[in-house]
Amino acid sequence: MALSLPRMLPVSTTDGELIERAAGGDRSAFELLYQRYARPVFGLALRRLGDRGRAEDAVQETFASIWRSAGTYRPDRGPGAPWLYAVARNAIVDRARNRTEIPADIPDEPAREAGPAELAEQGWVSWRVHRALEELNEREREVISLAYWSGLSQSEVAEFLDIPLGTVKTRTRAALARLAEILGDEFE
Amino acid sequence: MSFDDLIGTDGLSAEEEAKLRRVHQLLVAAGPPPELSSDLSLPPVPNDEADPPEVAYLFRRRRGRALVIALAAALAAFVGGYAFGHSKGKPVAFTPVRTVTMHGTSTGASHGVINIAQKDSVGNWPMKVEVSGLPQQTNRTAYYELWLTRDGKAVAPCGSFRVNAKTTRVQLSVSYPLKTYDGWVVTAQTGQRDGLGPVVLTT
Repeated sequence: MALSLPRMLPVSTTDGELIERAAGGDRSAFELLYQRYARPVFGLALRRLGDRGRAEDAVQETFASIWRSAGTYRPDRGPGAPWLYAVARNAIVDRARNRTEIPADIPDEPAREAGPAELAEQGWVSWRVHRALEELNEREREVISLAYWSGLSQSEVAEFLDIPLGTVKTRTRAALARLAEILGDEFE
Repeated sequence: MSFDDLIGTDGLSAEEEAKLRRVHQLLVAAGPPPELSSDLSLPPVPNDEADPPEVAYLFRRRRGRALVIALAAALAAFVGGYAFGHSKGKPVAFTPVRTVTMHGTSTGASHGVINIAQKDSVGNWPMKVEVSGLPQQTNRTAYYELWLTRDGKAVAPCGSFRVNAKTTRVQLSVSYPLKTYDGWVVTAQTGQRDGLGPVVLTT
């Protein structure tokens, strides 16, 4: 589902600036934040809650929290993305705590799933990557999506897009370079 | 797919290659971003008061209204399909504006991609659908059906097709308001009027 929201603010406006504007009641800033972060928040919620309906509710609650608590953001303590991540994580954890299901049996063996620290790391990586994907143009996003997650070979992608194989490689490389630029040195 | 297969290293400096490899690893680790449902197409409406904003609770709970809209969409699809079939306009170039990927529900081998072009002047969304790894039909009347879903349920039929190769490509067109649906599925139909068949591909 594509988001189509009015862009009344320059796309270069930082997340931190948008949070500060939202704190002052600027709805267009809030909508731009939503445009940038709805998918990362939903991805994080799905990963944690494992249920689309509950994850959708968590997204709504997260953005309600962002609007409510934007005034607590302090730009001198860091950029906007980690603050938004913290708000989202808290909203999602609150929702997870509301679960009423009780496991029928206590497992005898230690869980094989990733531990909390590992999950947090995975969540943060997905958060940043999915946020960065929102910055790509449609053509770049399309080639990344097909190359990484469609299961198609590059020849099949080329055939599907009706472009030469070399163009697929060039576009993929350009899209990766753009992502590297967007992600900056956060992961180095 | 490996980095070398996808990107290659020709013409890249060591520094550039390291940077792109890192992004490649991050993409693999992050996995695909989820498709947003129509319920999430807009942010919650903040309250003007100083108090916490009201959360815009989700449309998906209004199942009665959803049913009415689904029926209206089905009617619109019929009318749109008729109009499409009888239009005399010249064909336009197919330029995808959105790509949707689907994965198999039982085996990892099957998958599908839907490339959707811009809505045409009469309100139809042309689509190129490619499916791979689906088994051939079990009898002469069997076929596969593509559906739009709401709340995980197949509610709006988008066209049927048969497969006879590892990869099958078909062109379909629908006139539904796509934003009001939250996903896509492909079902296997026997053609014996037995209702909705099992889902074999899903978003």
